Amino acid sequence: MANVLFAGVGGQGVVTASDLLAHAALRAGWNVKKAETHGMAQRGGSVVTHVRVSPDQPVHSPLIPHGCADYLIALELLEGVRTLWMLAPGGQVIADARRIPPITVTSGAATYPDGLEDQLRSRGRVLPATEEATRMGDARAANALLLGALGRDLGLPEDAWQSAFAAVLNPKALDLNWRTFLKGASGR
Amino acid sequence: MSEQPQPMLLSGNEAVALGAWQAGCSLAAAYPGTPSSEILPALIRWAERHGGDIYCEWSVNEKVALEVASGASIAGARTLAAMKHVGLNVAADPFFTLAYTGVEGGLLVISADDPGLHSSQNEQDNRIYARHAGIPMLEPADSQEACDFARLAFELSERFDVPVLLRLTTRVSHSRTPVVAGLERAEREVTGATPNPQKYVMVPAHAKTRHEVLQRSLARVARWGDEAPVNRVDDGVGDVAFIASGLAYCLLREVLPEAPVLKLGMTYPLPGSLIGGFVERFARVVVVEELEPFLFEQIRALGHAVDRLPAELQLGELTPDRLVHGLRQIGIEPTGLSPAPDEALGPPAGLPARPPVLCPGCAHRAVFAVLRKLKVFVTGDIGCYTLATLEPLAALHTCLDMGAGISQAHGISRATGGKQKAVAVIGDSTFTHMGMPALLNAIYNGGDFVTLILDNRSTAMTGGQDHPGTGTTLRGESSRALDFARLAEAMGAEMVMQVPVSDPKAIEAGLRQALNHRGPAVVIASGLCPLRYRVRTTPYAIDREKCTLCRRCLALGCPALGLSVDSGLKWPVIDAALCNGCGLCAQECLLGAISLADANGGDAV
Repeated sequence: MANVLFAGVGGQGVVTASDLLAHAALRAGWNVKKAETHGMAQRGGSVVTHVRVSPDQPVHSPLIPHGCADYLIALELLEGVRTLWMLAPGGQVIADARRIPPITVTSGAATYPDGLEDQLRSRGRVLPATEEATRMGDARAANALLLGALGRDLGLPEDAWQSAFAAVLNPKALDLNWRTFLKGASGR
Repeated sequence: MSEQPQPMLLSGNEAVALGAWQAGCSLAAAYPGTPSSEILPALIRWAERHGGDIYCEWSVNEKVALEVASGASIAGARTLAAMKHVGLNVAADPFFTLAYTGVEGGLLVISADDPGLHSSQNEQDNRIYARHAGIPMLEPADSQEACDFARLAFELSERFDVPVLLRLTTRVSHSRTPVVAGLERAEREVTGATPNPQKYVMVPAHAKTRHEVLQRSLARVARWGDEAPVNRVDDGVGDVAFIASGLAYCLLREVLPEAPVLKLGMTYPLPGSLIGGFVERFARVVVVEELEPFLFEQIRALGHAVDRLPAELQLGELTPDRLVHGLRQIGIEPTGLSPAPDEALGPPAGLPARPPVLCPGCAHRAVFAVLRKLKVFVTGDIGCYTLATLEPLAALHTCLDMGAGISQAHGISRATGGKQKAVAVIGDSTFTHMGMPALLNAIYNGGDFVTLILDNRSTAMTGGQDHPGTGTTLRGESSRALDFARLAEAMGAEMVMQVPVSDPKAIEAGLRQALNHRGPAVVIASGLCPLRYRVRTTPYAIDREKCTLCRRCLALGCPALGLSVDSGLKWPVIDAALCNGCGLCAQECLLGAISLADANGGDAV
């Protein structure tokens, strides 16, 4: 069983990124459940989705229990640190080195904390995903890079991912996202 | 031998729609509301992909939706009405009496509850409605059951001549789980309505008889539930057993995979013999449920000394951790999770919060900036604009239910003898849902306050659905767009004016004029929802030569505006990737420091 928690900011594509993993697991013949949040929370607020996949064990709960996430895919640094407590002992962070100050910071009421990247790095990897995706053509492909890094660890076959990308993404965005995924999977 | 269909990964809402499509449902009506909004669009997609003639509409509210569905049922069609939990409050009037009339074509009422209030004003448990009205209820636990139970609900409805409530929750509606289902639809002929006054004219004499018929039907449904596979026993080990339904069942299976469980798919009426036979086999039986002790109290009333989780767990969403915590409190150690979840864990303190905010370029922002400046009491309503209650706008002071803001403003004005004049803000879709009778009431009763209709041509919070003000139907057909100004005039409003949200000065002037007017005034602030209509123009940028760090722009609470530290100073900056070019900040700036990014070559980042 692998419990994968996605954390980010509403509008960043948290739901789509977790959809890609869930569809890849389904296409590989794995058991899978996924929980997401819609509505009010999506308006630029903190967004979390849960994906639970297993090649052999049944998946009952769509929600990951506290402290049981095997992977935390953080699309933004502050949201990564906010959900770090969900990670199991030995669980892995895969984070984008991206900062999006919340309204409490931009309005001057709070400051964006220092040292978030180090906190996340102590539990896994912080990758320049947005930077890399921008260089490759579009910042919005950043999540595919993180999924590539996850895919390498998870052991889902590449054709399952490829078929999930084709099923979930807009055909226009498919090529760049797939190249970005492969870049993430290459570990380079 | 037919080939086993491939599993599909569907949300609970998509799966319900698939089950309804398979069952030959040919009319569906709804008012959008999280977490139910995707059901009708999904139904349309199933029909587009795989055929079938299904009429779907966004009705103006849930009561109307259920009444439209009831007409379709009388005509012999299989039909459904879908809504969020609080929508059933609106539809409660037809809901209760439909239990008496029963159906011709199967009638499915879908209530999507929101335990944990992810996007709602309360977390009422609508299972209680089933018992109150006497309407059988099915509670799916995942998408496969959502599909299967939707199909089953139509059969039950027709077999027992009663509507059926399909009760979903956020975690069922918005979880994606595999569904194996055939893509065949049982098309049905709709024969039309024929008079049957004893059944459909609910005058007292008829209704009295129909109430008796309902009680007999419910007894038959309960007996059906004793045998039907919709309720089942998962055999297990140990002498402590459990009774559960819906999501609670899934969580229980996760934390106690070996335990014997009576899994109830139909939670009203309860299968009494099945429950009795199950309970007597074990030393201890614990009911595990989310929100109210609905099953617990009924099973106790049947005379079984079952246990329950600690009462504190009936507030909020049931999660694996809270279940583990609750079980430990009643002396049951979970065995299924590795590592065991640590209930002491939680988010770290001290991190800056990230509340949801109005989008960049939101048509409501300018209005609330003006309301804040005018320092009036603002009665609010249900929609994106409730976000204006948060800092820095902090200009919305009530939010109760759909349409309440107008009536609350009227109440404030009447209670203070006209000394306090409130401004009632209400979105365009909410106005058509329940604001119209509220405004009519206030005008009729001499209300002295301002109604401000925020017309962004969208049911925005739930995903940008159409409504009578947009002039387009759910099926994309062009329709007549409601003219809010003419409607307000026809209702008798003496002062009606329209202001563009792109012009804060015009909004302020209009509101001041309306507040000075004695009697009901209606101001319509128009501007498209940028999310729904993908409004995006050239971004703005800030010229540091002119900026004096006054932070007026930041007080608009726009996510595209932020602070950047440079030379020891915190400079306001505009994120060009987020800015959609509405220009409100440029109008707010007293020094002309904000202009189009390509015009001043400023430091958009």
